[in-house]
Amino acid sequence: MSQTQEATETTQSQRDAVTDADVTLIVGLEVHVQLDTQSKLFCNCSTAYGADANTQTCPVCTGMPGTLPVINEQALKLAIKTGLALNCEIANYTKWDRKNYFYPDLPKGYQISQFDKPICGAGHLTIADPKGAFETRAIQIERAHLEEDAGKSIHDESGAKKPTKIDLNRTGTPLLEIVTKPDLRSAEEAKAFLTELKLILTYIGVSDCNMQEGSLRCDGNVNLHINVDGQKVATPIVEIKNLNSFRAAERAIGYEAERQLRVWKKDGLGIGEAPKQTRGWDVANQKTTPSREKEGAADYRYFPDPDLIAVVTTDQEIAAIGATIAHLPSALRTDLMENYGLEAYDTEVIVSQGAGVVAYYESVADFLTKSASGSKSPGKTASNWVAQEVLRYLNEQSCEVGDYPVSGEQLGELLVRISKGDFDQTRGKDVLAQMVENALDLDAAIEKLGIKAVDANEIQSLCQQLIDENPAVIEQIREGKGKAIGSLIGKARKLNPNINPNVVKENLLKQIGI
Amino acid sequence: MSNLAQDVAKLARIDLPDDEAEATQANLEKVLNYVQQLESVQLPDDIEPFFGAIESVNAIRVDQTQPSFAREEILSNAPDSDGQFYKVPQVFE
Repeated sequence: MSQTQEATETTQSQRDAVTDADVTLIVGLEVHVQLDTQSKLFCNCSTAYGADANTQTCPVCTGMPGTLPVINEQALKLAIKTGLALNCEIANYTKWDRKNYFYPDLPKGYQISQFDKPICGAGHLTIADPKGAFETRAIQIERAHLEEDAGKSIHDESGAKKPTKIDLNRTGTPLLEIVTKPDLRSAEEAKAFLTELKLILTYIGVSDCNMQEGSLRCDGNVNLHINVDGQKVATPIVEIKNLNSFRAAERAIGYEAERQLRVWKKDGLGIGEAPKQTRGWDVANQKTTPSREKEGAADYRYFPDPDLIAVVTTDQEIAAIGATIAHLPSALRTDLMENYGLEAYDTEVIVSQGAGVVAYYESVADFLTKSASGSKSPGKTASNWVAQEVLRYLNEQSCEVGDYPVSGEQLGELLVRISKGDFDQTRGKDVLAQMVENALDLDAAIEKLGIKAVDANEIQSLCQQLIDENPAVIEQIREGKGKAIGSLIGKARKLNPNINPNVVKENLLKQIGI
Repeated sequence: MSNLAQDVAKLARIDLPDDEAEATQANLEKVLNYVQQLESVQLPDDIEPFFGAIESVNAIRVDQTQPSFAREEILSNAPDSDGQFYKVPQVFE
């Protein structure tokens, strides 16, 4: 973070007078994304998750003397692809540096990273809130650089001071560290940024973004700018480590904002008057706690790694990688709103599910739009059915849209039949259930349910029967209690499940004489 | 530069006794002063920084896995292991 202003002396009474309106939360994020490669960043060991401890290592990734790292081409390509999706400048010349520190899960005693020539330079990511809690804003990205992951330490928590166990399978796995400017102004914005970033990374297929497996990890830098009688005072910056879910990120940042205000009101210490602190998020107690770590500022003594040479990428090569980006969520949102007339909220429901669901939705909506069904808002109808029926199924079955048993065209055809009045929505859902459960096509499902068009005479006599049998209800309707008609439609449905309620309603009103 | 030797020793996790620290400090200062002569060289503004002695670029490999080393073989280099994990003293007290 780059706040450098001097802290201003404040008195207790000035601090007591500060209200929430005087406080601005300043947040910057560092996100580590594991790139989806087969092999590690500098050697041919597998990156597959979940293998037995220390079965995916070699002399290169365990830091044996005399070994030489060689950069993985796919990791470079995925990093560039990510940078392009985040509107970053891509470096034609990029190089590798050693970040030196001692820790048992870092066998070389340094991490190969990028210091002054990162692969991706400045960019931005736009966040929006469909619910309107904050303004749509472009969050500036400072840089994104490639580096190797460290291994995993398993500490003894028993208190018996047993040895720490180290698994080096993860050592050397390619990470892209994405660093934002301190541009985020609330915990909600931070969560929205992470959510949108994850969505983009998933759309362009550079990472599985599995947070449980550590494929997406986040640290946050948090402090406050406080307006004291027209002077800006900044609180000391706190780095919150290992925010391993979006919920944790949101809660931890919110907690930290409150904590810093509380502490500052008491001690009045500003930035530069207290050392930068590292804290961790304690999920059980829902608070941040100081991290156990060595005293003194880190001194990483970066220098160019003499084992690696620079990578030069031409504009043509960068453009070719850019051409592999099919659709970004932001473009799809615009498409869905402009081409299908969807509202922001409905659009988000579809787009947040990934490119597969968007394509499925489009095939349903296109089918319904192109057929002369008379549907008034085919886009909205399609989104209702996809959001309620299809997504519910995918959720319940924990499967992908490709596994959904009904094609977009078939669902579209079903909606056409409903729109034409062959049967109503409720009956339509029965039809869809048949198609899903018994893998039937549309016509077979309709036949299995015994649905046939109900002719006008049948409806007329059915309505007459309802009128004759329910004089009290008819009286209510005549008195203007329009809602009473619902109970008649329910009765009609019981007498004949294939009737269209709207047609019955029209006929009833006509026969009653309203 | 008052604590240079001790600072470097601390970063390298080396115990540096006081009687050695003085000589080490003097040596390090000599080396640094020698190298610092480079800073007096006047360079034109448009000179690109020089990062390494090798001018070639793009030593890149295809993303393919190869079998890793046998765990037994890798762990045989470790001072201590349980056959599955490296064992190291606790980092935090």
